[in-house]
Amino acid sequence: MMRVWRWILAILIGAWLPIVFIAWWWNASAESTNPYFPPLSVIWEQFKVNWIFELVPVHVVPSIRNLLVGFLIAAVIAIPAGTLIGASRSGTRYVEPVVDFIRSIPPVALVPIFILLLGLDAQMRITSIAFSASFPILLATIEGVRSTNLVVLDTAKSFRLSRSAILWRVRLPGAMPTVFAGLQVGFQIAFVVTIASEVLGSGFGLGAFTLIATDSFLIVDAWTGVILLGILGYLLNLVFDLVERISLRWYYGQKKLS
Amino acid sequence: MTTPAISIRDVTMDYPTPDGVNHVLDGVSYDVAEGHFVSIVGPSGVGKTTLLRLLTGLATPTGGEIQVRGQRLTSSPEGLAVVLQDYTRSLMPWLTVEKNIALPLRNAKLSRTATRERVEESLAEVGLTGTGRSYPWQLSGGMQQRVSIARAIAVRPSILVMDEPFASVDAQTRFDLEDLVLKVRDDFGITTLMVTHDIDEAVYLSDEIVVLYGKPAVVRDIVKIDIPFPRSQMTTRNDHRFADLRTHVYGMVRGLE
Ligand SMILES: Nc1ncnc2c1ncn2[C@@H]1O[C@H](COP(=O)(O)OP(=O)(O)OP(=O)(O)O)[C@@H](O)[C@H]1O
Ligand SMILES: [Mg+2]
Repeated sequence: MMRVWRWILAILIGAWLPIVFIAWWWNASAESTNPYFPPLSVIWEQFKVNWIFELVPVHVVPSIRNLLVGFLIAAVIAIPAGTLIGASRSGTRYVEPVVDFIRSIPPVALVPIFILLLGLDAQMRITSIAFSASFPILLATIEGVRSTNLVVLDTAKSFRLSRSAILWRVRLPGAMPTVFAGLQVGFQIAFVVTIASEVLGSGFGLGAFTLIATDSFLIVDAWTGVILLGILGYLLNLVFDLVERISLRWYYGQKKLS
Repeated sequence: MTTPAISIRDVTMDYPTPDGVNHVLDGVSYDVAEGHFVSIVGPSGVGKTTLLRLLTGLATPTGGEIQVRGQRLTSSPEGLAVVLQDYTRSLMPWLTVEKNIALPLRNAKLSRTATRERVEESLAEVGLTGTGRSYPWQLSGGMQQRVSIARAIAVRPSILVMDEPFASVDAQTRFDLEDLVLKVRDDFGITTLMVTHDIDEAVYLSDEIVVLYGKPAVVRDIVKIDIPFPRSQMTTRNDHRFADLRTHVYGMVRGLE
């Protein structure tokens, strides 16, 4: 528990720069008449009207739901697949270049293709998110499982554990620190794709809200959308870090001691 | 004659390397008698770990064969437990001590309570009762090595094979662990095979010492340690017979004799 408190303290210490920035923005924009840069105080008033909590069910809930569902699908498919590929020598050799190639396409560029294939519904959005997020997870899992420590592997073999026990109980758990690095990247990509997938053909979601507001010259509304996106992205990353800290307690504990 | 616990017959081991073959073992033969404590000594790089990996089925010899209780060895044999050289990495850091010890018990198909009892017994045997909930990396080096011994004996093996198990612990801990290994061997009647660098340790623990020497390595000598059991760190090590044997083995390992 101690560690969680220290972690919260670290966040507060890290918050000084944003606070200074907000104060500066507030003052600098106070007298602004430029329609594209309304005073922050005006944005804040509108922010309260929109997001506490009037429009949350319409625009935030669907985005978050798509994000989480898509990301979970990616993890549930990519982690087992990566484990199997990473444990097989030819699997790594044949699959990795292909995965590397697809991964180097910017995920957002794939959204139009999914729209062509699947149309403009939530299923398309979730598929885009899951597809884009799965590649970093897949690659990280392959890498983590492939580089299983040989002493650990020999030990497991000498216990006469079955191949599947060695895979799921020894190689995958040992690879989890690497897998989490992939999950983190995948999660960030999933967030970007969530928003990007909403800019076409959707009336709902934060991406749609911000885009429609911009197109309709509702600049203040657009600003509130952008700010909320920033806050959400930040909070989601915090939650992710917390989950990682808890899941990899053994890893961070060991690292601290060595 | 009774079947030996382990029979090493004319074993040869070559490793392929970019510039030709590395001949490591050349016709090594030796029988480990049931219930004996045998140490394998030899200069660094001679092939001790290689021989041990062959014995545990982790590698296959290029020539010759290895039998465990008369059965030709193909994979890791049942009833044989291993403590590898690098204990800091052989314990799974993501599992607690008790889960580490329970891991090899998966094949034993014990009930949940029986597993827990077995883990407790094994921890008690190595003097670590109450540390089951810790992670291995929270323990000292000596304690971690006790855990890996506890894990090895948890499956109630009839043969225990160890590769330099005490290489990286301090002298006092080393003495304690040596006596622990003798106790474990007495309590369970385990045939024990140990690789070590430490000739004093080999003489102190063993019924017999196998000296590997040369490139490729052969069995240079088999030394019977005729010092009666039980042995004790205080008296055995001061025995003049101990000194004679140590000098002899030392000469063999150094290629002086
Ligand atoms: N997996 C391997 N592949 C290729 N060569 C190997 C392999 N393992 C060991 N060797 C070679 O075999 C020889 C013997 O190594 P081994 O580890 O068995 O020696 P050792 O007697 O255990 O040494 P030490 O006392 O330092 O532990 C060395 O020349 C080593 O380079
Ligand atoms: Mg060695």
